[in-house]
Amino acid sequence: MANVNREVQELLADYAAALRDGCLPAFLKSLTREEAGRIHESEEFWEATEVVRLMNSAGFGEGVVTPDVGLFISRVDAGIASRLKKGKASTRSRSRSRSHANL
Amino acid sequence: MRLTFGMFIRHLHRYLGNEVECEDVLEDVYADIWENPDHLRDVENERHLLRTVYLYYMRKRLREVYRRMNRSLYLSQKDMQNLVAPELGLCELMSQAELKQILHRMLGKLKSRERKAIELWMQGMSNRAIANELKTTVGAVKMLEFRTVLKLRKMLKDYTDED
Repeated sequence: MANVNREVQELLADYAAALRDGCLPAFLKSLTREEAGRIHESEEFWEATEVVRLMNSAGFGEGVVTPDVGLFISRVDAGIASRLKKGKASTRSRSRSRSHANL
Repeated sequence: MRLTFGMFIRHLHRYLGNEVECEDVLEDVYADIWENPDHLRDVENERHLLRTVYLYYMRKRLREVYRRMNRSLYLSQKDMQNLVAPELGLCELMSQAELKQILHRMLGKLKSRERKAIELWMQGMSNRAIANELKTTVGAVKMLEFRTVLKLRKMLKDYTDED
């Protein structure tokens, strides 16, 4: 991505490569003001990104594996428990402030 | 969760291309679903499920992934959103199995050079390697890919319109 004045087709190729390699932030950071403007104005670029996502999915989506789904599920459970805790804490503090106001 | 995990993470991979980020997003998606499952009440089939989950749960979380980064970028907030969490389009209308089948059929309709460029890309080859294979320049390969991708989009659009 050394070229700093890329045409739309080059920008698409770099977006596709970044998506395929899982480094989208590197592509986003590499965009110059002119290139961002070029992307903004190009309808073809936006149409092409849709297909690139599909190609990425068809070519590499199958390979997405999580070594331990059980571990993932326990992380989700922990997230839900933390939300519950936060919810309870906020209702408690709300009711406490209400009782203070009544005093 | 075990039943939908594979389907959801593969779908997220379309937008992020990074397994770690996909897992982080999916963690929040499941917690959001647990908190507010109303949208999923009338889901009829896999396609409908994927569409609903993307629309009501995934998109919101996908938008948050690079939101902080956006301050230092030249890309507008809207363009960033369109890149990372776009509106409903071709992607959201197809399941993984359907997509593979259709793409395979569409690739068969391309000229041999176009098909080869796309197939090599999908095998993970760099543009330089593809250029060597096709005995041309990297710039020509990028242009060929761009034109072919637009051609594929037209074919896919026609297919989904018919469907």
